[in-house]
Parts: sequence; C-alpha cells; structure tokens
Amino acid sequence: MENVVTAKKSILISKGTSRVKRLTNFLMESSLLLITSVSMIAVIFIILYIAKDALPFLKLRGIGEFLFSIRWYPSGNPPEFGALAIIFGSMMVTFLSTLIAVPLAIFSAVSLSDILPFSVRQVIKPIIEIIAAIPSVAYGFFALVVFAPILQRSGGHLMGIGVLIVGIPLSLILAYIAGDGLAGKLFKKTSKSHITGMFIILESLMVLGLYKIYSILSHITISSGTNALNVSVILGIMALPTIVSVSEDSLQAVGRELREGSYALGATRAETLVKVVIPAAKSGIIAAIIMGVMRAVGETMVVWMASGNAAQIPQPWTNIFQPIRTLTATIAGDMGEADHVTGSARYHVLFMMALLLLLFSFISNLISEFFVRRSKKKWGI
Amino acid sequence: MKRKTRRILDRSFSGLGFFSIFLLSASLFVVLGPIFYRGIGAFIFKGTIEFRRLNYEAFNRGNKENLQKEKQISQQYRSQIYKMLEEFQHQLDNGEVPDSGKFSSDFRELKKQVRALLGPEPGDEEPVLMRDRFGETRWDKAKEALYRILFMETWDYSDPDSMGRKIFIPRAKEYKGASLEKLFPYIEKNFEKIMRPRLVFYWQFIADNSYDSHIFGGIFAEVLGTFYLVLGTMLFAIPMGVIAAIYLAEFSKDNSKLVSLLRVFISTLAGVPSIVFGLFGLAFFINTVKVSNSKSVLAGSMTLALLVLPTIIRAAEEALKAVPKTYKEAALSLGASKIRAVLTVILPAALPGILTGIVISMGRAAGETAPIIFTAAVSVGKPLSLFESLNQPTPALSWNIYNLVTEHESVEKIRHVQFGMVFTLVLLVLLLNLAAIIIRARVSKKLRG
Repeated sequence: MENVVTAKKSILISKGTSRVKRLTNFLMESSLLLITSVSMIAVIFIILYIAKDALPFLKLRGIGEFLFSIRWYPSGNPPEFGALAIIFGSMMVTFLSTLIAVPLAIFSAVSLSDILPFSVRQVIKPIIEIIAAIPSVAYGFFALVVFAPILQRSGGHLMGIGVLIVGIPLSLILAYIAGDGLAGKLFKKTSKSHITGMFIILESLMVLGLYKIYSILSHITISSGTNALNVSVILGIMALPTIVSVSEDSLQAVGRELREGSYALGATRAETLVKVVIPAAKSGIIAAIIMGVMRAVGETMVVWMASGNAAQIPQPWTNIFQPIRTLTATIAGDMGEADHVTGSARYHVLFMMALLLLLFSFISNLISEFFVRRSKKKWGI
Repeated sequence: MKRKTRRILDRSFSGLGFFSIFLLSASLFVVLGPIFYRGIGAFIFKGTIEFRRLNYEAFNRGNKENLQKEKQISQQYRSQIYKMLEEFQHQLDNGEVPDSGKFSSDFRELKKQVRALLGPEPGDEEPVLMRDRFGETRWDKAKEALYRILFMETWDYSDPDSMGRKIFIPRAKEYKGASLEKLFPYIEKNFEKIMRPRLVFYWQFIADNSYDSHIFGGIFAEVLGTFYLVLGTMLFAIPMGVIAAIYLAEFSKDNSKLVSLLRVFISTLAGVPSIVFGLFGLAFFINTVKVSNSKSVLAGSMTLALLVLPTIIRAAEEALKAVPKTYKEAALSLGASKIRAVLTVILPAALPGILTGIVISMGRAAGETAPIIFTAAVSVGKPLSLFESLNQPTPALSWNIYNLVTEHESVEKIRHVQFGMVFTLVLLVLLLNLAAIIIRARVSKKLRG
C-alpha cells in the first residue's frame, strides 16, 4: 500500500511543478512549428508576389494575346506580347528531353536495383549523384561551347551513329524474338537451323533499315548548333538522376517476396522485372518521370545559353534543328531590360510567365505526390 | 517460347541494363572531360615571356634580373622583325614597291597582328588599355597569333552558288618578291626564341584580381562572391532547415493533417523553378522588404536559402529518423526532457547525416545561377569586403561564366578563362559532394558495426 501512495505522490509532485514546464514546452514546440512553417509561408508568399506582379499584365493586355498569338515583340511600337511560340518552345524541349531521358533512366534504375552486382552499384550511385550536382551553368557552358559546334559541324553523322548504337543491340534482340516466333509459325517442327536462318534474314533486313536511317540522318545539315535538339539532349542528361533515383527507390520498395514468388513460378529475371516488378512499381516510376519533367521545364541556364533564343515556332513544327526559346530563358533574358520600366506591361508579362511556370510545377508536384503516396500506401511504408 | 529463347531474352535484357548504365556514366565523362581538360589549361600552361613580364609588372612577381636577361635575348630576335617591317614601310612610303596599293591595307593588318603577338614596340608610348601593353601571354594563343601573321584571311567567292567561304592564304606567297618575304620564314623559325615558352603552374588564377575585363589575371572576385553567397545562404538555411527537421522528426505527430500539409508545401517549394525564386527575390526581398536598395549578396543569400531549404530539411529529417529509438528512450529514462534528449543525444548522433545534406546544398548554392541574376550578381565588380556584402552586388562564378561566354566583347580570346572558371566551379561542387560521400560512408560503417 505504501508503495502506491508514494507513487501517487510523485505523480502529484510532477504535476505540480510541470505547469511552468508544460508552458515552456508548449512555447518551444510552437516556435519550432513556426520555423518549420517557413517553407509553407515561403510558398504562399511566392504565389502571392508573383501573382501580384502578374495581374497588372492581365489588366493591361488581357490573356488572349498572351496565350494565342505567336508575335513576341515586347520592345516594339506598339509592343506585342504573344507568348505562344515561347510556350511551345518550353513544351517541345521538355517533351524531347523526356523522350531521351525516360527509357535510359528506367533501364538504368532497373539494372541498379536488380541486375548490377553490389560493388558496381557502389560506383554508379556516386556517378549519378555527381550528374545531379554539376551546376546547370556548367551544363549550359558545355552545350554552348563544346556541344553546339560539334552538332553544327557533324550533327547528322552524330545522330546517325547514335541511332546505330541504340538500334543494333535492339535489332539483334528483336530479330531473335521475331525469328523464334516466325519459325514456330512457318514450320511444323522447328529446328535450330530454321531459327538461325530466320534470325539472319530478319537481322540483315533490320541492319539494312538502320543503315538507311543512318544515311538519311547523316545528310542533314544543321544551320545552327544552338537549337532545340542540343538543349533537349543536355536537359535529358540533367533529368536522368532524378528519374533514376526516384524510380530505383520505388523498385526497391516492391520487396523480395514478390520477386521470389515470380522466380518460384519459373520466370526468368527479365520476365520477373517486366511483368511483375515494374508494374508493381508503376506509381513510383510515374512520379519519377513527372519530377524529371519538372526539372526540364524549370531549367534556365542551359536553355538560355544554348537554345538560340528565337521566339518562333519551328517550320515545320517538328523541326528540332531550329533555335527556339523557352519561358525560363525569356524571364532571365528580358528582365535585365524590363527592369528599367517597372510597372509596364513588359515587366509584368515576365511575372505572368513565372506564374504559368509555377502553376505547372504545382500541378505536376501534386500529381507526383499523389502517385508517391499511392505507392507508399501500397507497400505500407 | 522455347526455354533457350527465354534465356537469351533474359541475358539481352541484362545487356540493355548494362548498356544504359554505360551510357549514363559515359554522359558524365563526356560532359566533364572537356571541362577538366581545358579547364586545367587555365592553371597549367606554357607561359611566354610576355606572361612573365605581365607577372612582374602587374603583380610584382618573379625575378627582375632574369626577366631582363630574357628580354634582351628575345629582343635580339624581335629587333630583326621590326627592322624588316620598317624597311618595307619605308619602301612603301617612297613608292619603291610595285603595285603598292595591293599591300598597303594588308600591311597595316600585318603590323597589327605582329603587335598583338609581341606587344608594343620598345620606345612606343604606353598604350591606354592594358590588353595592348602585353603580347600573347599564353603559348597556345601565341601560336594562333603566329598563324594569323603567316596566313591572310580572305573570302573565296569562286563558287557562285554559296555565300563565299573563308580561306587562308600564306602571306609568304602574297609578298613574294617584296623585301618583306623573308620575314615570315624568319618568325616561324625563331618563334620559340622570340616568345620563350615555359611551363607554369598558375595557381594564382583563383587568387588574382582580373585585369582589363578578364583578359589578364584571375578570378578572385568571382570566387570570393561565390564564397559569400554560400556563406550567407548557409547562415539562413542551416538553422531553419535543421530546426524544421527536428520538429518534423521528433515533435510532430506523424499523421496529423498539419504535418502532412507541411510536407506537401516542402515538396512544393522543392519543385519551384529556380528562375521563379529569382523573380520572387526581386519582388519580395528587394522591392518590398528592401533588405538593400538594389541587388546585394544579402538578398541573394536569402533567396538561395529558400531554394536549398527543402534539401536540408529532408536530409536532416532522414538523419534524425535514422538514429536508433533506443538512444532517445535511454535519454528520456534518465530523466532528460524531450528537448534535452534531442539536443544532447539525438542531434549529435545524427550530425554526420545532417552534415551531408548541408554540404550537398552548399554545392547547390554555389552553382545556382538563375536565382541570383536579379538578386545578387553583377558582371563586373571588385572583390567585396564582408561588410560591403550586406548591400552590394558581387560577381559570382556561376553568373560570370554565363556572362563571359555570351556577353564578353572578345569571347574567343578569353576561352581559357571561361574554362578555368567552369573548372573551378565544377571542382568546388565535386569536392563538396565527395566530402558528402565520404561522410556518408563513414556513417554507414559506424551504423553497421
């Protein structure tokens, strides 16, 4: 009985002394919370202040011209603020760079998580970190000073060789699959020689096709090395680390059980990866791709330095060898001149562009957050 | 499908995986290769006698007597050149040269090129611009200058279909028969004796001020500016980031609405394009709060701090969460209050992990350009003192790389400076990341055993 009493007493004592303590604890925690919410406040202020300076543009010029006209002459008389060509430039560069980065990144992520031995992984991971760490201005410098002259001099050959490098291994695999399938269909009893024969025929056809593509590409002359293709390649490289590391995480999160189950059913590693692991990690991979896209859209220095900065829609619009201009580069490049005329439409249109970028990044961020959450819920992390 | 086919498919899938990893790594080396190779050229190169003259006259470095001796030797050969030029000029003036009209304009060009290579003639008055006071200081540039002396640049219009091509004709052929003909073989033959190249390790490249808009000297102002920006950024970002991480990891209830809202905002902040940060810094810190009258290191640091904040928060939170629960429980059971347990036990244990995040975001702050364009960076400027950085803009490595490569008056002439600057920045970022990798490796070793 005595024990209980003392215990009660001690609880009482702690209650008595803790009023001050609790107050200080509360104050402490709320000040911690306040500092934590700096990020939140910053985001809200960014929206507010960008929107505050963007609204005057809407009052001065309306939205129609901005979104639907391709005539961008901010310093003309009268000035024109059609940003369609610039928005198109941003979209084109983003799309192309995603096209370059995504297959490479996903294959890399898969081999990092499942194929490569541990020791190699330890070497590759820092390499990916370094690709992410190199400042964008250094990439821009590379694009402008090293890559652009090469592209201008022998861009066609370069692309042709690129197609060969990627195409030949792919064609070998495709020819093998198709040869196997065809041989099975054509002959009742397939023998080794049937398959080999089919393989050789298909492969030589494909190599012929590849060579044709190579010769077409190598005859392309590129009038300027600073164009949409140059920027897209570099942006693609810059987007790689984000996509690789996020999708690798989601591939890892799939867990051993699912893989082992698949192996137990007799699937090979490739089959397990393609049919089980990648579908299971789908949401994470989509989130990764969206993050890569965001990186490409928001990138400034590379496009400013190496895109040619011509506010035009290429003719025809699929021509990737022509200079283009993006939203980010326009903001960076025009602010210097527009700064002197604070309050004019020319100043506010740049904030309008920033608002557009912000909206895009918010929406894609929400979408990627949604996918990340879904994959987290799925794997219970 | 047959088993063999499946096996081959499996192999080729792995092959594609290896291949893409190879491409990924290759892209890094393709980008870094030229930057390193040519960037080192800003530090280690063959300096001519003009370089040593510059070093002595502008920076007061080197041995005066040796320089004098060298100058005398070089002068013996140079005087021959001047003599030949003068002779030809004399002949031109007196009309002794047949069809002198053909030569007169090119001869002026030739003299200009000789002057560009050797610097002003002894006895000339001191030129106003520093770039005219010295000849080519670098052996590679000197060789280019030699080429411009030996060859004449003209346009070939023989093909009527195209716009005309730039071609180079040897001047020796052009001046055949004139007294000047012997000049060209003479310069070519004695070129090394005239310029006296010697390998130098110019580490002062990062410690010297630049002269005459980066044509001579180093990049000290930019290095210092970047240093201030990183310092300022960390001053704001570290306390905010670490405190936020402590709150998120230790004090918040994990599934409350508020916390998940905070997390959404943090990831949103991480996704804001960097140029938008720049505009925000201009509109808020400079135009509204007026931390300074115009661009300043302070305003730039604040902008950059917001940019790196999510990185620091995430890294620190992860590090705090990686500390074993038993640490905290032990501290609490000894009677420590929660805050005391965090400050004395958990934070020290998580410190290396937090440090990793800090070091990586330092690299990020050093390399970012877009946010400082409107808030802190200026193209030409002197090295600032610490106090001045509160209200003055500064040159910074990242911004000046852009500036020198796109807006400089003679972009080709200062390629080595540009490459040197990119090299310095990339090396800085790489070293910071290397530090992060090493810290992390040590931490994981410690945690494992």
